[in-house]
Amino acid sequence: MKIQKLFQRTRFGIFLLFGVIVLSTSALCIYTVDTQLTAEYESNSQNIAKSVADASVDILLNRNLATLQSMIDQFVEIQGIRYIYITSEDGEYLAHTFVPGIPEQILASDHSNLEPVERSIPGLGDFLEVGSPILAGVAGTVHVGMDQDEVALKIQRAIGQQVILICIFLVVGVLASIWLVNLAAKPLAELLAYAVNIAGNKETEASADDLLGRDDEVGDLARLFRHISDQSPDSSAPGAPPEKAR
Amino acid sequence: MNVRDGNGQSGKKPESPLPLLTRRTMLRRGLAGLLAVSGAGWRGADTVLGGANMVSAQEIETGFEGATDDEIVLGMSAAFSGPSRGLGSELYRGAMAYFNYVNDNGGVAGRKITLKLYDDGYQPDPCVRNTMNLMLEDNVFLLFGYVGTPTVTRVLPLLKKFQDEQVYLFFPFTGAQPQREPPYGDFAFNLRASYRQETAGLVNNFLAAGKRKIGVFYQADAYGRSGWAGVRAALDRHGERLAGEATYRRGQRFTGSMREQVEILKANSPDAVICIGSYAACAAFARDAVDRDLRVPIANLSFVGSENMLQLLGDLGEDVETYSRYLVNSQVVPSYEDTSIPAVQEYRELMERYDPAVPEELVKEAYSPFPQSFVSLEGFLDAKLMTEILRRLGGNPERDGLEDAVFSVENYDLGISERVSFGPDRRQGLQTVYYTVVEEGRFVTLDDWQSWLS
Repeated sequence: MKIQKLFQRTRFGIFLLFGVIVLSTSALCIYTVDTQLTAEYESNSQNIAKSVADASVDILLNRNLATLQSMIDQFVEIQGIRYIYITSEDGEYLAHTFVPGIPEQILASDHSNLEPVERSIPGLGDFLEVGSPILAGVAGTVHVGMDQDEVALKIQRAIGQQVILICIFLVVGVLASIWLVNLAAKPLAELLAYAVNIAGNKETEASADDLLGRDDEVGDLARLFRHISDQSPDSSAPGAPPEKAR
Repeated sequence: MNVRDGNGQSGKKPESPLPLLTRRTMLRRGLAGLLAVSGAGWRGADTVLGGANMVSAQEIETGFEGATDDEIVLGMSAAFSGPSRGLGSELYRGAMAYFNYVNDNGGVAGRKITLKLYDDGYQPDPCVRNTMNLMLEDNVFLLFGYVGTPTVTRVLPLLKKFQDEQVYLFFPFTGAQPQREPPYGDFAFNLRASYRQETAGLVNNFLAAGKRKIGVFYQADAYGRSGWAGVRAALDRHGERLAGEATYRRGQRFTGSMREQVEILKANSPDAVICIGSYAACAAFARDAVDRDLRVPIANLSFVGSENMLQLLGDLGEDVETYSRYLVNSQVVPSYEDTSIPAVQEYRELMERYDPAVPEELVKEAYSPFPQSFVSLEGFLDAKLMTEILRRLGGNPERDGLEDAVFSVENYDLGISERVSFGPDRRQGLQTVYYTVVEEGRFVTLDDWQSWLS
């Protein structure tokens, strides 16, 4: 005999609790990872732009644009960076990494704006562009474009890994709780069967000895049922209707 | 001939005692940091270099400096593979024609001139690795005949880093400014005119002929930027500005499309376009420009490898005249067709006699060399002047005497109309730029721009 009804709500409650924990943890995790990684990528972009700007001063003052180009070509090999361009103080494009040409969106933009800007360039993708002044802006500006699709992919991967881990915890936790509930329900089911047998004046099974020998609450109840049964005057009356087990 | 590929996988390695290897390992680790920042010359390099500064230049093995009683070893890293393999191959062939001649006639003070070759495929990182091998393992006497701006600009910081070893770069096949100006100008000697001179000449001639709207098509790297800067500066002197620009990625093959670039330039209605690229890309641009009705003069710099370019256009199977009639290429050596020039006679004779071939170990893709070409003539003149400098070192060649030997070259007659001089403030031997156009399927000297443009 199985105990279904008694623990159905318990199982549901446990599942619900785990679900709430998983959902809230995932939401918090997604928010935290997304916010922090986005901030980190933005910070990295700004650091790279600043590095290029700092490194460009002498090269620009020496009017050595080939070396300047060589330098930004190396920076653009860093993962996530899709383009770099350097403008003079007059807004002239002194070096860039665009092929086949400088996009219209970039040409139309305000080169002196150094605040992070989100750009969507047809054929190239979505970018987060940050800027940095060269020699406080009097020698020009550096602009670095981070590939937002690539950054988003990295963030999604990081979040995905976290969520997968949490889901594994959920499944393991639910399965473990079901197993534990079943473990607790098994002696109760045996007790119920024992009580039904007593009520029906049937021969108790050999396993009843195990039940009566338990030193926990189930054992106490079994011994109580046995005691009540032994004291009942109708206990030996054949055909008496059994009491309903509760 | 000693050869290796860019990874240094083949060829013989000299046996070295263990302590030397350990030291070299340390040096390599230090140089790994340098690899990441070479070419930039930036102020932040100290931070990024990390361990690089831990190893001093004095730690290079100095016992052997590339010169023995029998030979002088020169190191060369160039494009022998990839879309620009024709440049390395032709430069090598021209140089070897002269070096073979010298070696057959007793060498330099009894020493034969040997080239240690590496292939870099016209890519900066392999070139830096090759240079480290040439300097640290092969201990070559000097570096010679490097090909390309993006490669050379990345190597220059290495030369500066190990300046105490006095390993100089001689006659690179590039007209870019970095090896002509501080902070790296002291580590290289140039023979050819600069891109700045080539582009200025082209711009001046176009402007004089009334072609005022000049667009630029260039390789998106240091080479392209060097030429772009030259065109911009030349226009600026005349109060003009660029009439549009378009770029392409290094390594572009002739089969690739340049239609986007043509359309970008066409939108600005240029009177002429100056191309700063390799022969495959520039040939593709010339093809697509004609196909898309951008029929204006298209100028190319000497680096383009004129014969290679013309060959690609000829391979289209149509009349080569259709695609080549708008081409005007600047050159830094006179026409190899002009046999009135003594050096050209000598060049043609020695090329025919030796017909040098690129070592098989370096041949990854089929390449059919030209009997004569502007690039091989340049290699020939490079080798001729190199031999003269080595002769001036005397019977005991040492690196620390190289600079004085170069500076002793004054009004030296290479066999072309222009004489060569070097000095502390003059690290480029030749200044003349020549212009050529295609006639009857070959490049000939252009003397009258007005009539050609009309």
